[in-house]
Amino acid sequence: MVDGMKDPDEMEKKDRGDVLRLPDSSQAAVYNFVKVLITLLVALLMGALVMELSGKDSVAAYRALFQSSLGSRTAIANTLLASTPLIFTSLAAAIGFRAGVFNVGAEGSLYLGGFAAAWVGFTFTELPALLIIPLAFLAAGLVGGFWCYVPGVLRARLAVDELVTTILLNYVAILFTEYLVNGPFLVPGVANAMSEEISLAARLPRLAPPSQLNASFIIAVLTGLVMVFVMTRTRLGYELRATGDNPIFTRWAGISVPAVIEKVMFIGGLLGGLAGAGQVLGVHYRFVAGFSSGLAFSGMTIALLVRNSPFGAILASLLFGLLRSGSATMEIFSDVPRDLITVLEATIIFFAAMEISMQFFRRRRHER
Amino acid sequence: MSVDTISNILFASLRVSTPLLLAALAGLISQRVNLLNIALDGLMLFGAFAAVVFGAFLGSTWLGLLLAMLLSTLITLLFAVVVIEFKANLIVAGLAVNILATGLTSYLLVVLFDARGAYSPEGLESLTRITLPVIANIPVLGDILSGHGVLVYVSWLMVGLVAFMLYRTPLGIHMRSVGEHLEASETAGIPVKRVQYIALLLGGALAGLAGAQLSVGNLTLFTDNMINGRGFIALAAVFFGAARPGLTAIGCFIFGMFEILQFRLQTSTSIPAQLPQMLPYLIVVVVLTGINLQKRRRKVVKAE
Repeated sequence: MVDGMKDPDEMEKKDRGDVLRLPDSSQAAVYNFVKVLITLLVALLMGALVMELSGKDSVAAYRALFQSSLGSRTAIANTLLASTPLIFTSLAAAIGFRAGVFNVGAEGSLYLGGFAAAWVGFTFTELPALLIIPLAFLAAGLVGGFWCYVPGVLRARLAVDELVTTILLNYVAILFTEYLVNGPFLVPGVANAMSEEISLAARLPRLAPPSQLNASFIIAVLTGLVMVFVMTRTRLGYELRATGDNPIFTRWAGISVPAVIEKVMFIGGLLGGLAGAGQVLGVHYRFVAGFSSGLAFSGMTIALLVRNSPFGAILASLLFGLLRSGSATMEIFSDVPRDLITVLEATIIFFAAMEISMQFFRRRRHER
Repeated sequence: MSVDTISNILFASLRVSTPLLLAALAGLISQRVNLLNIALDGLMLFGAFAAVVFGAFLGSTWLGLLLAMLLSTLITLLFAVVVIEFKANLIVAGLAVNILATGLTSYLLVVLFDARGAYSPEGLESLTRITLPVIANIPVLGDILSGHGVLVYVSWLMVGLVAFMLYRTPLGIHMRSVGEHLEASETAGIPVKRVQYIALLLGGALAGLAGAQLSVGNLTLFTDNMINGRGFIALAAVFFGAARPGLTAIGCFIFGMFEILQFRLQTSTSIPAQLPQMLPYLIVVVVLTGINLQKRRRKVVKAE
């Protein structure tokens, strides 16, 4: 199956020159799938424990969660809606991690890209849908990509820790977009910090009203498939996997590791930007300050859960969409705060961390 | 600027650099045993939460402080076991702690107090302020140094203590040796695992104090995600100081000063608040870039 699914522990035992190995057997895929299911199960149990300890009815809460995310046509549509940005952000995290780069900047790219898309949407109001929508996505992707490209260059050329810089720059991006809608793009008479509405032509068509599910879901899945292709079948994909597995070997093979890192960071940011554009053009129809609520961090969780397999990330995004869309109803009907989902995510990451003794992460820290 | 304004700025900078300093010392100790502590941010959040909640519950800020240290040490123990025993990836586990902290504290805030976003218990007093004898009477200097909350002084004492521990005690020598060369230390008979545990757990207690300073050092208030990346700024200060206590402390003070400057810009000018708020984060990124540029230049010079 997909290459990123291969078991890193098993890889460690293999010798150096083995990076060119063919994609794994379907047996390994089944094995990994079972592992993912067990991890999710453990997380749900952990959530139940937290709920019971704090005096909540966990069975009722989970019932509300699953019913409101799977119980009807609209519920399923809402789950797909919630998974849309996660597909982008999980791929953004996965491509970085696969190359041994800890890019958490997709959150910032999401905000800046979202604003760029909104700006195109409310500025070029006379353009038809076929022009303005691609233009908005393009602007969002470029802005988002550039945002992560900068820490990418710093990491690649100067070894500035990209984890610390991207996390701090996320705060900058969130504050900056908040400034934009409170300052230069302030709409008088609107109580909350949000931009003007985008033109009707720029709005993505809804797929299953009354759900807000819209065409950005299709764009996300298509982008996801492109990413599967990029990461498994292209030269860049080979280069980034080689960089993740063994940067020293990669350099000796004549591949420029800094160039690979910069590209990977750019693509991660680009995907974050597209996620923002999808939310703005498909759901909010305007830029709303603070609209993300940690979408990039959920994406990171997904990438770790599926061990950076791009195909796995698409599938797992659907599962996480389920959790996210159900959590709002859970909060209303069973009085369990939706922050529980974050606790589930943390549990999943803990488990992923214990399994991943990926050597490239360790080596990366040893380089210093 | 008058002397008054300057001494005001320095006074406030000392105050806001305290949580950074305590967290940076935590990061510094684990850096010394070659463990990058990404979890600082989350540990601070746990500390901030515990100080307010337990402080209010037990009716004493001091007990709150103690339990803040205890809770973040316990969480650190979990982190340490996962990292040291189960060989978990350090960074991933650290991020998990951070995410657990945001999720669990927000969850508990709603469940326990029905409070969304912020919680400020009635009747809980913030930490005692101390008027330094003699120094308080010195003009200007007294205004800057005297009258802080107790943790401000504790944090600067800790700089000395940590330095003493690292350079003058067997434990510190073991720590530095483990950080320098793990395998060699093992061969030399140093209990590597134990040293790593001690380093992480000491850091956990310090990070708990750092969080407590934010929530009960000045006001008694907990808000969702109130750490706002300070754990990472502290980590940047450790990079800035090359894991040396003195230099790291200076880094914390500089970063703290920018926090105060942005606050002053917010209140004294008509610039929208968000622009100055970006400043501390940007400064840290610029500083990190600067020191790595410097490092590389030195390397190039050596190579020639």
